[in-house]
Amino acid sequence: MTNNTSDRKTSRDAGFLAICLLVVINAVWLLLMPWVPSIAQATINRFHLTSSSFAVWAIQFPIPTMYNFANRFEVREFPEGMLDPLAETSQHRYVNHFPSRKFTFANTRYQYLHEHTDRWFNIDSSYRGQTIETRFHLKPIETGGFEVIRLSTKKVGHHE
Amino acid sequence: MSEMLESSDQSPAELEPKLTINPAVVAHRFVQAGMLLGLVWKWSFFVTSAGIYAKIPLEDPFFPSWLESVWTLSLVYLGSVAAILLNLITGSRILQRVCSAITLLGASVLCIHQGSYNDMTFVTTWWASLWSLWYVYRMDDLDQGPLLRRAAFLSRIIISMILLGGAAGKWTGEYWSGDVLYDIYFVDREFWLFNWMRSSMDADALRWAATWHSRMVIATETIAGLGLWLLPARAAAIVAILLLASIALMSNFFLFSVLFSLIGLAAVGLLAHDR
Repeated sequence: MTNNTSDRKTSRDAGFLAICLLVVINAVWLLLMPWVPSIAQATINRFHLTSSSFAVWAIQFPIPTMYNFANRFEVREFPEGMLDPLAETSQHRYVNHFPSRKFTFANTRYQYLHEHTDRWFNIDSSYRGQTIETRFHLKPIETGGFEVIRLSTKKVGHHE
Repeated sequence: MSEMLESSDQSPAELEPKLTINPAVVAHRFVQAGMLLGLVWKWSFFVTSAGIYAKIPLEDPFFPSWLESVWTLSLVYLGSVAAILLNLITGSRILQRVCSAITLLGASVLCIHQGSYNDMTFVTTWWASLWSLWYVYRMDDLDQGPLLRRAAFLSRIIISMILLGGAAGKWTGEYWSGDVLYDIYFVDREFWLFNWMRSSMDADALRWAATWHSRMVIATETIAGLGLWLLPARAAAIVAILLLASIALMSNFFLFSVLFSLIGLAAVGLLAHDR
């Protein structure tokens, strides 16, 4: 088969072109992230489970985010402002990505929630001067699980 | 089987069936094997996780309830593993297409389920399964050369983009200073490399090593993310396999669950002949 023939086949290969397009869209999104704060903000909202809707959050799943941003977490036994011995030992550890994993993912869900008592999680993510902090209350419910309550999410810093 | 039988009528000796390897089928199986290894690498962890999710459910209005269910998670995970296993061994094109579609659908669900969204295993599996679905619809192309070149090109732009994703999120001061990786790996992570560094370095040297380790990671991911796809197919395959394997070997063996899918994809390039 000649090169011309194979080129014609490539141009008819809609699946090939669609995947190329999807990769390009992802790459452009990633390359713009350092210079477009709203892209970084969308990713932090994704990490904090605070996107404007589940659909907006879910549609971002193909975007790779391994070891992205400076994400930290803090777990408290008592609400903000009260003396908390647990918080003193758990402050400011970094998480590779998705700091919300600290209460949703298996090992740390067990670690922090197996006693079935109230827990408050403060998570924050920073990227190039932009920092967003989100606070959650994990409230025990009768079924043995927890209700996830978002207390607040706010920008705590942005220096251009 | 991956072998294709060919016969000749030239002489009695040549009447013996000759076994040849079909590279197009091998490429398909490289990717299926990579996805399978990736998904089962943390098998016992996933089994334990299912028990935890059943015992400690989270009711979060952000997620649809079916995406909080441990039953959804278990069924989709096991279904995806079964589909890949069948895809690996079947020669039926229809079954391969059905299995690839099931795997893509399953990986999509695992990427947005409350119990698995944060695990990049499922994102890399998703990209590999997308490649796989495209590929099984093209495997009957008579001219395998162009098919394998396209397959290898797709595999390396996917790997490049995923490495670029790792790089772009680290283009920030906290990674350049080494703060993040120092805290995650160097302070107390139980792993041969970091155990050895802690036992053989003082605090200042360890902190210095973390900074330069972090900068090396950023540089490597950036260069590979921007440039891997430009390399010839076989060179890109070799570089990608070495790079991806080294990530897990040098930092965390569990990362093979994320990387096996990509290693399988990268291996497709070994079968392609550059023009």
